[in-house]
Amino acid sequence: MTTSDTTGKGKGSFAPLAATRRPFFKLSDFVLEAILLAIILLLAFTAPGFATWDNWMNILRNAAMTGIIAFGMTFVLILGEIDISVGSGLAFFGCLLAVVTDSMTTAGWSAEISIVIGVVLCFGIAILAGMFTGWVRHVLAVPTFITTLAWMAAFRGGAYLLTGSFPVTPYPDWFFFFGSGAIFGIPFQAFVFLLVFIITWFISRYTVFGKSAYAVGGNAESARLSGINVLGIRMAVMSMIGVFTVLSAIMVSSQIQAGNPTVGVTWEFTVITACVIGGVSLMGGKGRVWGTFVGVLFLSIMLNGMTLLNIDEYWQYVARALLILGAVLIYQVQAMNARRG
Amino acid sequence: MMGPAKLEISNLTKAYPGVLALDDFSAAFDGGKVYALLGKNGSGKSTFVKCLSGAVVPTSGEIRIDGVEARFKGPADANAAGIAVVYQELSLILDFTVAENIMLGRFPTMGPGDITVDWKKTNAHVQDILTSLRIDIPVTRKISELSVGQRQVIEIAKAMSLNPRVLLLDEPTSALARHEINSLLEVVRSLREKGVAIIFITHKLNEIRSVADYVTVLRDGRLVGTVPIDVATPKVIVDMMFGETTLQSRPADLKVGEEIRLKVTDLHRKDKYEDISFDLRAGEILGIAGMLGAGRSELLRGIFGADAIDGGTIVLNGTEVRRPTVTRMKKLGLAMTMENRKEEGLIQIMSIEDNLCLASLDEVGQRGFLSHFLQAPVAEKWIGRLQIKVSDALQEVQSLSGGNQQKVVVGNWLNTDPKVVFFDEPTRGIDIVAKQQIFQIMWDLSRRGLSVVFVSSELEELLEVCHRILIMEAGRFIGEVLEPENTPIETLYAMCMGEMAK
Ligand SMILES: Nc1ncnc2c1ncn2[C@@H]1O[C@H](COP(=O)(O)OP(=O)(O)OP(=O)(O)O)[C@@H](O)[C@H]1O
Ligand SMILES: [Mg+2]
Repeated sequence: MTTSDTTGKGKGSFAPLAATRRPFFKLSDFVLEAILLAIILLLAFTAPGFATWDNWMNILRNAAMTGIIAFGMTFVLILGEIDISVGSGLAFFGCLLAVVTDSMTTAGWSAEISIVIGVVLCFGIAILAGMFTGWVRHVLAVPTFITTLAWMAAFRGGAYLLTGSFPVTPYPDWFFFFGSGAIFGIPFQAFVFLLVFIITWFISRYTVFGKSAYAVGGNAESARLSGINVLGIRMAVMSMIGVFTVLSAIMVSSQIQAGNPTVGVTWEFTVITACVIGGVSLMGGKGRVWGTFVGVLFLSIMLNGMTLLNIDEYWQYVARALLILGAVLIYQVQAMNARRG
Repeated sequence: MMGPAKLEISNLTKAYPGVLALDDFSAAFDGGKVYALLGKNGSGKSTFVKCLSGAVVPTSGEIRIDGVEARFKGPADANAAGIAVVYQELSLILDFTVAENIMLGRFPTMGPGDITVDWKKTNAHVQDILTSLRIDIPVTRKISELSVGQRQVIEIAKAMSLNPRVLLLDEPTSALARHEINSLLEVVRSLREKGVAIIFITHKLNEIRSVADYVTVLRDGRLVGTVPIDVATPKVIVDMMFGETTLQSRPADLKVGEEIRLKVTDLHRKDKYEDISFDLRAGEILGIAGMLGAGRSELLRGIFGADAIDGGTIVLNGTEVRRPTVTRMKKLGLAMTMENRKEEGLIQIMSIEDNLCLASLDEVGQRGFLSHFLQAPVAEKWIGRLQIKVSDALQEVQSLSGGNQQKVVVGNWLNTDPKVVFFDEPTRGIDIVAKQQIFQIMWDLSRRGLSVVFVSSELEELLEVCHRILIMEAGRFIGEVLEPENTPIETLYAMCMGEMAK
């Protein structure tokens, strides 16, 4: 047991203690990472074809689509909010892009210009929708769960209305690069995934914006009374996840070579699952982008491994459930130990 | 009825990372007596309470109640063993009545299958409890209709309804008005007659005199001693708490300048305050006195932009502001420490370091970038200057003792480099030496030409610290004290009660 004398004796002086050294590395902070490593090793020896380059690229490709959105969701959850419209959003933006491209090319525009305009339109709508959600949350105190529930219905409906419920396939060959292309044998999505990870990780740790988001999630009233622009943070974060949803939608469209209104069903849950596994708190104020990164990989690797091991799809759901409960259990026990000392 | 209780503590120790909050603490507390438990901020008083309430598990040591060793896994165990605790934070359900709150979880039932609550019995039972404690509050009144002081009293009644052998009160009076404190002390006195051992934590030495039988002092988690109340003069108590110290009074060299820093004209807000006009000059420390509910906090919050105002003008450092917002006023050099540090001043789950940078994130950051390396020097500076007792600046701020949390709030705002600072009840829950440090901070600000507005329910403090005191009652200024140093406390008190209003 280490003890240190924290007060000056007598004299009533409070000599502040120099910061105690915190251990540089504590294994208990890396439980999730350790388990993931163990699972990787296990799968490498048991699952045929797991430890191959192609399979790993496959894992990355799958992880990327939901992962990008999960980084946005991390901020949303840190803020103490939620966004359940991302799955429908994915379908809507994919369809919007396809329909815009389709109608513009039919009207004689070049595919390049049509796609660029479609993408800009998607980003614009996503940002406006996010700003609206944040604004309504702030000014009228409407929970984001409600507003995004409405968006969820609107986006899915919109996707069907736009396409007449049939996939639209207007894309030129070069567009498929975003979903199926590779650089040095590494899938294009993997680069986007890593890039978004690095950017959001940096924002969360090294910017005033990131710190403000934690502050708002920790206690919005204290944050407001400290002069932090709470409305701005809320609008920005809700827009940010929209932007990432559009990014993901572009890659999905490219991969399936179409705008399809049926994609993305239940993606919101996959995304939130990854965050929760990574230790992000739904109560707000707590969570790390790194945790989400590990959570995303954890999910993809588990699913990939089980598929390789020919485990029945239904059992995969059971595994997912155990994963969520297990992770939450670990975090709660850790938090309790910290609290009770 | 059982005989007087007996609580014995032997070698109780509680270690947190980097600090021994309780260090081999042994003491005995007898029933039928009131013990005032004193000690400076962070000396381990609340930790002691938490060990007894089952909220934390002691590292080592033994607790005996009536000679029987007690080990608590959680608060329920502690209740069962006869320990009841009243915390400063209220745990009542606002929309429930007094009776519902007190009987929650153990309503008497009736009817087939015993599934209907017997309200008659509930109310009658609670009425008995209140009567026995000489509390005069209707049992069917909703908590939301009661004053903070009445809520605190109900909290005690709730604790007492479990028939505890030991009652612990952790700073029950720090948020109460003077007359509410009196009725609370009255309740404590009537409990003493029931043979309960009462441990009463407070930082207000004047309360101790009227209620305590013994004074027990903790320093750095260790027992300094227990003395009977009649030998416990303020000097003895302060020496026990701090070792040798001298308390200072306002330095003579503090000048009020000519320049007007803040000019408020005809400020009003419906049902809160009206007809508010005053000037605040460079270097001036202006006190605002008044009873709870006089509108002091509301007024400051209005000027600061925390709440809306209905009308009036504010001129801050030469800039006229019609619709203040916190962000705007902060830019113009106004700072304000809120009265409720827990809910409004701090972000409990963030680190001490983060909380010290909260109001100045834009300045601490560089072009929007921020890191531990930019924040750490800021934190270190204020921890040093304000002598905040911290073992690690990266710990969550909620691990600090109450008084040290208050200093973090102050540091957070001083770091914005303000020209005018509003302090709303800054001394709530902090020990005498820490209070002195807050006064020193105000005097320092004044010496540097900054202006201070100081709201406090402790009238002595206002007289000690301020150049001038405005008296507020029911949302209006009704009087002014121009020479606080020559004004007796009784005069100020009478003015606040509205009797001597001009
Ligand atoms: N959960 C915790 N983790 C780490 N340190 C803690 C924790 N809780 C309390 N401490 C430390 O233990 C010491 C005693 O704290 P405690 O709250 O008991 O003081 P106190 O006497 O009640 O002070 P105050 O008068 O300010 O309320 C302090 O140094 C505090 O920082
Ligand atoms: Mg305390």
